[in-house]
Amino acid sequence: MFFIKELEKTIQLHPSYFGPLIRSHIHRELLLKEEGSSTGKFTIVCILDSFEISEGQVIPGSGAAEYTVHYKAIVWRPYKGEVMDGIVSSVMRSGFFVDCGSLQAFVGRAMIPADIKFDANATPPQWTDNGDQIIEKGTNIRIKIKGLRSEVDKMYAIGTMKEDYLGPLQS
Amino acid sequence: MKITSPPNWHYPVTIGDFAKKTDDEVKRSDPLFTYLYETTVQEGDKWGETKDVKRKFPARFEASLDGIIRKWYIRTGAVVARAGVDLLEIEEPCTHEVQFGGLCAECGQDMTEMDYLTKELNSERATVNMTHDNMALLISHKEAVRAEEDSKKRLLSAKKLSLIVDLDQTVIHTTCERTIAEWQADPDNPNYDAVKDVKGFQLADDNAAHIVASWYYVKMRPGLPAFFDRMSKLYEMHVYTMATRAYAQEVCKIIDPQRRFFGERILSRDENYGEKIKSLNRLFPNHTDMAVIIDDRADIWKYCENLVRVPVFNFFPGAGDINASFLPKQQELVTQPPTKPADVPAKEGAKPEGESTSTSSATAHPTEPVPAASTNGALGDLEQQLISISAVESPESFEEQVKEQEKVILTQQTERPLLQQQLVLDKEDEEAEVDEITQSTENGYTQTTEHHKHRHAVLHDDDRGLETIGAHLRLIHQTFYDEYQRNKIVPHSGRVAELKGQKSPKKRPVDTVVPDVAEIMPRLKRETLHGCVIVFSGIIPLGVDVQNSDFALWVKSFGAQISTTVNKFTTHVIANPDRKTTKVKKAARYDTIMIVNAEWMFQCCTRWEHVDEGPYLIEMDDADKNGSPIEDMEDDSIDVTGDEGADEAESPIQFDILDDDQWSSMNNELDDFLNESDTDGGSASDSESVRSADGTRSEKTKTKRKRMTATEANDVSEDDSDASVKSTSSRLQRKKRRTMERVTSLTNVENAEKSSGLPSPETTGPEEEHGDNEGKTFDPQGEGPDLDSDFDDGLEAAMMDEFEKSASED
Repeated sequence: MFFIKELEKTIQLHPSYFGPLIRSHIHRELLLKEEGSSTGKFTIVCILDSFEISEGQVIPGSGAAEYTVHYKAIVWRPYKGEVMDGIVSSVMRSGFFVDCGSLQAFVGRAMIPADIKFDANATPPQWTDNGDQIIEKGTNIRIKIKGLRSEVDKMYAIGTMKEDYLGPLQS
Repeated sequence: MKITSPPNWHYPVTIGDFAKKTDDEVKRSDPLFTYLYETTVQEGDKWGETKDVKRKFPARFEASLDGIIRKWYIRTGAVVARAGVDLLEIEEPCTHEVQFGGLCAECGQDMTEMDYLTKELNSERATVNMTHDNMALLISHKEAVRAEEDSKKRLLSAKKLSLIVDLDQTVIHTTCERTIAEWQADPDNPNYDAVKDVKGFQLADDNAAHIVASWYYVKMRPGLPAFFDRMSKLYEMHVYTMATRAYAQEVCKIIDPQRRFFGERILSRDENYGEKIKSLNRLFPNHTDMAVIIDDRADIWKYCENLVRVPVFNFFPGAGDINASFLPKQQELVTQPPTKPADVPAKEGAKPEGESTSTSSATAHPTEPVPAASTNGALGDLEQQLISISAVESPESFEEQVKEQEKVILTQQTERPLLQQQLVLDKEDEEAEVDEITQSTENGYTQTTEHHKHRHAVLHDDDRGLETIGAHLRLIHQTFYDEYQRNKIVPHSGRVAELKGQKSPKKRPVDTVVPDVAEIMPRLKRETLHGCVIVFSGIIPLGVDVQNSDFALWVKSFGAQISTTVNKFTTHVIANPDRKTTKVKKAARYDTIMIVNAEWMFQCCTRWEHVDEGPYLIEMDDADKNGSPIEDMEDDSIDVTGDEGADEAESPIQFDILDDDQWSSMNNELDDFLNESDTDGGSASDSESVRSADGTRSEKTKTKRKRMTATEANDVSEDDSDASVKSTSSRLQRKKRRTMERVTSLTNVENAEKSSGLPSPETTGPEEEHGDNEGKTFDPQGEGPDLDSDFDDGLEAAMMDEFEKSASED
């Protein structure tokens, strides 16, 4: 699910950037470092333009200045039970992996409808019901999150397609 | 899952009432039953006196997992005396056999949760990783066996085996030198034909090198697409490389553009848990009997029986394996002095005398040992840089490895060794034109048959390694399935069943039917050199256990035996053609022993057949065969103790009567003697002392040596006068030293550590003398007295003469 969240970030700036363009430097630094990063709970998708920069404070010893930036960002946080779309990144006998933005989900054999079988001899290997449902690398697919676990900067998810309207998307 | 009595109970306990019946559903932490345990407690009475009393206490036992109770193994009133007794069986709805990142892939539960009921983490249930491209997906052992059975059935029905393919230097060769791009753009360049099919790619996110997205140039081994095409019908192919995932994927795009051969079966360093060795069990945890490996290195596979070792593919000379820093060190080379001066490419030039300690792994990498069928350039390419594994190595941190790789890449980018080599060649060509010599075809190094131009090319496209590999793989496949068919046909009431006393031979496990590649391959290979007893001479570097050296293990896998001494059972001596070692000379006296160069061994080991020794024989002159008196003497001295005193005492006899030729022959012999003792582990102590002496001396008498080398070669008399101010033996020592310098690859290895070892007084005495005051006085304590007794009169007189002369000069 997407949220707008207020966040705070401390940015250190090298003295060579001190000058009239200091604001844009900070902005660039913020976009570069924060956009797309994942905290383990959520991923920062997009930083909104309005943001506040605190007074700079020169750190003793290094000469660099420290700024605290308050900003708003659109973040994405997956929830258990959420339905989302992704792209299949790898297919194997025990299931397949789906990339949903920053989240990698695994759909195991038990989470795949029984009529869809694994075909190892196909190139590339695929899960298929020998009809119109073919799951191979690159397939767009809709899954539902069954389990979620977050580590420091990474999230793992287990997905399922054993419910209505889940599975490969016609593109 | 069976629940057993936990270790933290106070035994013995008596089982009380049950809270659940069979087939009841239980939730985690539901009470299952009560039990009573007995313990001693202190009890006070109303008078304030305390005493220890035995009391029984009730307690509850809670379910540690969800599920349905299938069976009770206990009854009310039963006494459980110890831990580990079966209590009940709970059938779980999910056994968490497949886990992804700490989550069960089947039920989505978190496997890393832990509370007071946890006896064993759920994540312990799935510990096997057999996925190529993911570290987070783990499966249980049971599931792994099932998966392997599945793939085995699939392979058998498709009549295929698994083939593990290494990338770098096995099927491709990669360099980072941008010279390649320049050559590709220039059709006039002599290397154009060779590099025109080289493909380049850029790794955008190059985490290994903090260099701005370096370019990689990949050369496929000649005939690779056809090879893959043929092999993909017999094998299911996997890539297993020590390169990064990004690199492996880019390379696979080049060698397998349609993803027909490998699909997603790519395993890279990123998924190898930071291991420096490759292991079949990473992909096939239980059954490796249908897997065949092709790789250019055996040590990282721990000399696995499933390995078909292939000749190294070294297209860009000097580039080596850019990912080698992530492999265990293999380099400890015996570099021969190049056979022709023309053969010295630029990279050799970087190493003084062709063999200084190799610092960058780019130069240190062994070049191609066998271009299997190449008619030209074989010896030139060979360069006989021989490998062995260093026995123990300190674990390097990953960062160091990354840095090392960066360094290699940077070297290739900045120094551009290929360009330098081409420039050297161009220069030679110019000189050749001036001399009006057409040295095109017979020149061993420069390759010309295809592009017959005036300029010679550094690169040549003549590798035929894949043809032989293909033949071996076909042979293995055929043998495997022949055997499989035979096993299958064995009648059900057959002999096997009878012998085994089995009642139902139909139920024979698949294992006995399916042959094991690890048995077939050694059987095929053993025939190759069966009955050969091989002695290495001047090949294996010093300080390496001959029996366990890389080559010895390689040859042994082909059925040959390795011996360290030459005797009548020896059939082959593999020797260095440039150094007639004592072993070689000894072998020359037996008519039955073939003395061959290392190329013969490579040919046998790559072609899997006993190659005719004819072309590889090392020429032996009659003198060697009959054995000159000096040799005999030398042999004896070695046999006894290798005592150098004997040499010193005897050799000076010759000095006055020797002419230049004899001098050089003596050099050779000395050379041999030293090398001999080096390779021969038995007499190491002797050579050590010589070496250590050499180590100390070389520092002290540098200037002296220079003068010596300048004068000595052409003027013996001057040399005599120069040398005679010292003891005669010291002259000999200098000669030794010079010869040692020529073979420093052997000595360099040991110098540093061995120089601390105390040299014998005979050797140090005179030397220190020279070092300090350059040849002023004769050291009376040194060699003089010892030697005098052995000198013949003429020499002694001459020596004294010189001595007096020099004394008067002073």
